[in-house]
Amino acid sequence: MDGLFYTLQTAQDTYFNVLVGILRYGAPVLAFILLLRCLKPLLTFRREPEIWAWLCLEDGTKLPITHWENVIGRSKRSDIVIDAPTVSRSHGVLTRYDDGSWTVTDSDSSNGVLVNGKKVKIWALDPKDVITIGGVNMRLEPISQKQEQKLAQLRTKGSSFFTSLLNLLILTVYQALCCLAYLMNGSQETAQSVLIGFAGIAVMEWLLLLFYVCIHRTSFEVETIAFFLCTMGMAAVAAVVPREAIKQLIAMALGVATFLLVGWSLRDLERAKKIRYLAGVAGVGFLLITLVFGKEYYGAKNWLEIGSFSLQPSELSKVCFVFMGASTMDRLMKKRNLILFIAYSVVLCGCLALMNDFGTALIFFCAFLVIAYLRSGSVGTVALAITALAFAGVVALRIAPHALRRFASWRHIWEMPLEGGYQQTRALMCMASGGLFGLGAGRGWMQYVFAADSDVVIATISEEWGLTIALFLIFAIIGLALFVVRAAAVGRSSFYTIGGCTAACIMLVQVMLNVLGTVDIVPLTGVTFPFLSNGGSSMICAWGLLAFIKATDTRQNASFAVRLHKTGGAVNE
Amino acid sequence: MNRIASRAMVLFLLVLLLLGGFVFFLAEYLVKADDWVIFPGSPHVYTGGNIGCGVVVDKDGALLLDLNEGRRYSNLLPLRQSTVHWVGDRYGSISAPSLSYYAAEMAGFDVINGVYNYGQTGGVAELTLSAKAQMAALEAMGSYKGTVAVYNYKTGQLLCAVTTPTYDPDNVPSFTEEDEAYKGLYVNRFTQSSYIPGSIFKIVTLAAALETDPDIVNKTFVCRGEYKIGNEEITCEGAHWEQTLKQAFCNSCNCAFAEIALQLGADTLTEYVEKFGITKQVSFDGITTAKGNFQIQSNADLNLAWASIGQHLDLVNPCAFMTFMGAIANDGKGSTPYLVEEIAINGNRTYDAKRNSGDRIMSKETAAILQAYMQNNVTVKYGADNFPGLTVGAKTGTGEVEGKKPNAMLAGFVDNEELPLAFMVCVEDAGYGKTVCIPIISKVLTAVRESMD
Repeated sequence: MDGLFYTLQTAQDTYFNVLVGILRYGAPVLAFILLLRCLKPLLTFRREPEIWAWLCLEDGTKLPITHWENVIGRSKRSDIVIDAPTVSRSHGVLTRYDDGSWTVTDSDSSNGVLVNGKKVKIWALDPKDVITIGGVNMRLEPISQKQEQKLAQLRTKGSSFFTSLLNLLILTVYQALCCLAYLMNGSQETAQSVLIGFAGIAVMEWLLLLFYVCIHRTSFEVETIAFFLCTMGMAAVAAVVPREAIKQLIAMALGVATFLLVGWSLRDLERAKKIRYLAGVAGVGFLLITLVFGKEYYGAKNWLEIGSFSLQPSELSKVCFVFMGASTMDRLMKKRNLILFIAYSVVLCGCLALMNDFGTALIFFCAFLVIAYLRSGSVGTVALAITALAFAGVVALRIAPHALRRFASWRHIWEMPLEGGYQQTRALMCMASGGLFGLGAGRGWMQYVFAADSDVVIATISEEWGLTIALFLIFAIIGLALFVVRAAAVGRSSFYTIGGCTAACIMLVQVMLNVLGTVDIVPLTGVTFPFLSNGGSSMICAWGLLAFIKATDTRQNASFAVRLHKTGGAVNE
Repeated sequence: MNRIASRAMVLFLLVLLLLGGFVFFLAEYLVKADDWVIFPGSPHVYTGGNIGCGVVVDKDGALLLDLNEGRRYSNLLPLRQSTVHWVGDRYGSISAPSLSYYAAEMAGFDVINGVYNYGQTGGVAELTLSAKAQMAALEAMGSYKGTVAVYNYKTGQLLCAVTTPTYDPDNVPSFTEEDEAYKGLYVNRFTQSSYIPGSIFKIVTLAAALETDPDIVNKTFVCRGEYKIGNEEITCEGAHWEQTLKQAFCNSCNCAFAEIALQLGADTLTEYVEKFGITKQVSFDGITTAKGNFQIQSNADLNLAWASIGQHLDLVNPCAFMTFMGAIANDGKGSTPYLVEEIAINGNRTYDAKRNSGDRIMSKETAAILQAYMQNNVTVKYGADNFPGLTVGAKTGTGEVEGKKPNAMLAGFVDNEELPLAFMVCVEDAGYGKTVCIPIISKVLTAVRESMD
């Protein structure tokens, strides 16, 4: 009997060796193909200008209006430039709504906006209304229903259903191989958990695609990238804490639910603007609750325990913060709103400082900088903010020895491999051991290092799957960020663009702190890698942020976060 | 919207920062990954302090140590005993610096594949040592403490280096700190000890004299058994009377060498000691030898005279002095010894010893005279029949140690194109170099010669 077991074991060893031998090169190739297929349409889609209305001046010139939100002003960088000394630099905003109606808003201009001779703050426009801006009279002429239909037909289509299907098939094969490798090299007791973990992701992604088909959306690139990252996250879980695979799967399900919920709330801009206030309150609320009832782990008081369930509310606050930071153009042009937002940010960062959560505070701060810059365009404001942070940082370091210790080991990890540099030295050792193609599933030593599935997860992946895959994971996030920048040019509303940029910024900063912290380029701050790190709150947050990125997608039939357009052929909702 | 769209470019800044940071990491990875991978905490490479994968064999492929799964040593007791100081023990009491040094190559590290290799058995490290010579040397050393070593002065291969006392790593003896028989048990005396050289240091003084004044070969020296320096004197065991330089060297005449040293002066002699690398640390394969010592207290003539004949504060490391012998034998330009010949994993070579030739430390002429004089010592004093069929040049020494019998020392070389060997014998608490060391090296050279056939 023993002999038989031994034979089986050795046979399995041989098969496993062969599988690892194949996967070392197979996994990067599959991942590369998958990422290329997903990122290429995201980064190269055609961005043709869409004309939504004409602005007719008295002298007969017709200015095309190419966005849903348009700044009228003297400044050369306005969407509609009227070069007259009586016109303010940013004078007013023309806004289009989902139903095709338009408003004009005064942006605290010196001479005001007049409609039919009357000074207005905001006015729902009729085609006959005469708008006077700095003494210049004009009339807005929206395009006809027919023209609008034509426009919708011309708009770049999202990827076809079959493209999405093929992408998902590739991903499923990848997941199956991953799962097989961990099953073969794992213990019997955890096999079930690992199997459910990987299979669960596959089921979830196919269900989501099915749901998309039902609502006539076909573009699935952003989601596929997220599921790819989740798969590698599951691999880290299988390597480090295979028992938690199901827990992580549940977190993913909650994440996808959050993604759909946030996406739904973003669909209707008016609804999103209302939810924004709710999100704002929730954002501060989460942090305050943590401050009062939170548990302190490893120096940071950022955990909330409800029964046997623990969560990091600061992660959820990130999504709320993106909501708060986003804003439509008409509001954006008013100083008061920026000041309110700054006050809000200060409260949030103050809470985080009290919680001693240095990493999250830094993420919020970077997000704040990006929002502040997007809103104001002022480099000076941002520089001022950075200076303020530097001062605050110095003061914080003086009084928080915990944070100081982290800085003490930075770039000196080899001098203190048993203290401050423990995780990083092991991470570098393991990454070097893994080389470009990894040692194989479950064959790493990183699993014995603290936080191998979260704070230093990139080393775990790198050791077992190779630096190539680790690099692809980083490129996946970078790809999402570049997509947001590209989509900004044809953005409908600044609400989406700011939201998308902030979400991408948060992801980028998290990746930066996580990866570069692990390899000792920056101090290790214990920040999670979006989708990859094990942890429910972080997973939910990542999916919530992804909804904002998805919402910037204006391609035809691409995003559920954008309403379908009443077109001849397309289905009406 | 145009403004927001262009401001969105700010994300590029973050992307660049992230990429920049990662590229910086990749650069570090390229340069330092081989250091990271052999980080002492790495379970991929080590078990219990010593390297934990790979196989170590001698120059002819005889197994010395299989590092996989609990360190399996050779099944020959004398081979285990004679090589434990090179391959290390199970508990880290004796470390194996050269194996740790090549940990990355042993584990099969390269920046592309990391330590991945099919089956994870590690590499095969071939040492330059000959198992046969090691065992013969251990037997020849008998119960003496000390070290005997032979290396190829043309290539640098360390063919034999045994240190005693030693023990069987498979059967560790129990002993106490005070146990005289086990004193310095863990020390590799060849690399980590320094001995009072005694008369073998006269080779250094002679070389310095020849380099400074080549005409000295024509001088004669008169020894009356004592040489007065101020109120003190240097003595010989008997008067040698009038002798040529060659004879004085052969007689190991203290008086003549005291005279030579005083003519040279402390500064000149110190300068040459340094130039010849007598007190320098030798580094090879992750090993750095112990430092020697040469200094003349209060610059007194008497101290200079004693120092020139290998007493006073003189200390030499056996490896460093053997390297000096190599340089003499190789016409003034030796090569540094090395231990690890090559490492291969599944037939792929991951390390190959670079044959280094050292710097010229003396003129060809000086080297030739030293060779002739040392060969003369063997024919006249030590007995050429101890080395049948070989032309050997050597010098014995007796390092006086307070409260103990003197250290018996021997340094020399074989003058033969096929057998370019330099050697060093140090035996502690033993007596005269000639009586103790010559029989030892005679046996060892025979074994080395056999191993090279």
